[in-house]
Amino acid sequence: MEAVSPLQRYLEAALETFGIEADEVERAVMAGVWSVYEPGMELLRTADLDGAEHELRADLSRPPKR
Amino acid sequence: MSALDLGLREQASRIASGEIDPGELLDECLARIEERNPELNAVVATFPDQSRRMLERATDGPLRGVPVLIKDEWPLPWRAETVGAASVPGARLEPGESGPYRALRDAGAVIAGVANMHELGSSSTGNTSVYGPTHNPWDLERCPGGSSSGPGAAVAGGLVSGAVGADGLGSIRFPAAYCGLTGLKPTFGRSAMDGHHIANTETIVSGPLCSDAADCRLLASALFGEPLPAGGGEAGRRRSPTDQGLRIGVVRDPYWDDVAPGVRELCEAALEALRAEVAGEVIEVELREKDLVLPASVLIAQSEEAAHLTPANVNALSPELGVLNRGILKLRAILPGALTARAFLVRAKVRRELAELFERIDVLAWPTVPAVAPPLTDPTIELPSGPSSADAGNARQAVLANLTGVPGISVPVGRDGGMPAALQLLGGWGSDALLLDAAEALERATDREFVELRPGALA
Repeated sequence: MEAVSPLQRYLEAALETFGIEADEVERAVMAGVWSVYEPGMELLRTADLDGAEHELRADLSRPPKR
Repeated sequence: MSALDLGLREQASRIASGEIDPGELLDECLARIEERNPELNAVVATFPDQSRRMLERATDGPLRGVPVLIKDEWPLPWRAETVGAASVPGARLEPGESGPYRALRDAGAVIAGVANMHELGSSSTGNTSVYGPTHNPWDLERCPGGSSSGPGAAVAGGLVSGAVGADGLGSIRFPAAYCGLTGLKPTFGRSAMDGHHIANTETIVSGPLCSDAADCRLLASALFGEPLPAGGGEAGRRRSPTDQGLRIGVVRDPYWDDVAPGVRELCEAALEALRAEVAGEVIEVELREKDLVLPASVLIAQSEEAAHLTPANVNALSPELGVLNRGILKLRAILPGALTARAFLVRAKVRRELAELFERIDVLAWPTVPAVAPPLTDPTIELPSGPSSADAGNARQAVLANLTGVPGISVPVGRDGGMPAALQLLGGWGSDALLLDAAEALERATDREFVELRPGALA
C-alpha cells in the first residue's frame, strides 16, 4: 500500500472538515498539484525561522527598512 | 512594410510627424486581427466603435494614436474583464475605468482589443481559457506562455506592437520568453493597477510586452505615469550600463544549473555579450533562502485570492471552469494558515537578503524559463533534474521578483530548436530604467539580432 504523506492526509481531512465537495477528478488534480509543491511546503513547514523578524508595514515598492 | 510592423515608438513618432494616419493604422490593425487571430486566438474582443472613439479623443501624449491590446484582466468602460474564465468565484466584475485603461488613454493610445489569458491567471502555459488556448506564433502547437498569453502571442504575431500584461508569478516574463519578446515586470506598485479584481495584491503588477526594450520603456512610461529616461536619471540608481561597470550577480544553483542545455548555452552567451558590452563583471552570489522562495511566493499569491473561497462558493464553481482550476481553487480554500504566516516571514528574510545583495551587485541574471515552450497538449519540460511541469520549472525562475517586489525583465537571446529562449535580469527596487538600459545594452551587443527575429510564417 502506498504511503500517504501527512500533507495529503491534511488535504483529505480539510475537505471533509470544511464541507468542500470534490469529485474524483478534482481530487486527483488537487493531489497532483499538491505533490508538485509538497516538498517546498514541507521545507517551509520545517524551516528554522525562530528569531526571524517580521517586516512590519512592508512596502513592496521599496527595500525593507533597516 | 506595413506601418503595423513598425515598433511602438516608430509608430508614435510617425503619427506625431504626420507620416502615418492613425485612423488608417487602426483599420489596418483591426483587419490584421481578423486575418491572423483565428490561428493565434490571442484576441478575445474587439470593439471598433470604442477604439475609434478613443482615437478621436486621443490626447497629444507619447502614444497618440498607437493601437495596443490589454489583457483580459482589467475592466474597460465598455467591457468587464473575464480573467479568461467562465466565472471568477466571489468577484463582481463590471465595466469601469481601470488604472491601465486610464494610463493608456492619458498617453493617447488606442485600445484595439482585449487579449486572451490563461484561465484565472493560474498557469505559465496559456493552454486553457474560456475562449480556448492561445497559440504561439513560432509554432502554433506550442504554448505561448501565460498567463499573459494573448499579449505575448499578439505582439509576436504582429497584431499590435505593444500590449499590457500582468505579472503575479512571472506572467509577463513567461510569454515574453516563449514568444521571443521583451517583457518588463515593474517594481511592485509602480505601474497602474486600479480596478484589478484582486485589489489587495502584493504580488501582481501591470507591465508591457513589446519587441524590444525601447518600446517597453515607452509603454511602461505610460503605465507608470512618468518617463523612464534611458541612460540615467532614475532616482536612487547606482549606475547605468552605459556608465561602464555593471555588476551582474548570478546564482548558479538552481537557476542556471537546472536548465535545458540549449537554453543555458544561449543565456551564457548572452550574459557574456552583456558583460563585454558594459565592461561589467559577473559575480557568483548565493541566495541563502532560495529553496523557500517558491513555496513562500505560491502561498502568498494563493492566499491573496482566497478570501472569497468559502465552501459555498467553491462548491458552486461553474462546470465551465477548467478542471485544473476547480482543483486549485478548492486547494486554495484549505491552505493551512500557519504555512502562509511562515511564508510572510520568509518574504521578510528574503527581502532583507536581497537588499544586502543589491549593495554588492546591480542586477541578477538567469534564464527566464528553464526550457523553451512545450506543446500545448503536454506542457512538460525536460530538465537536468528530470521531467517537470512547465509551471513548476518556470515559477521557480520567476517568483523571486513577485515575492520581494523587485523589477524583472525578460530579453530574447536566440532560439533553441527553433523556439525562443530568454535571459532574465532582476534589479533592485525602483531600478526599472536600469533594467531597460541593460536590455538595450544586450540588444546592442547582439546587433539586435534576437529582438528583430520574427516567426517565419509572419516575416
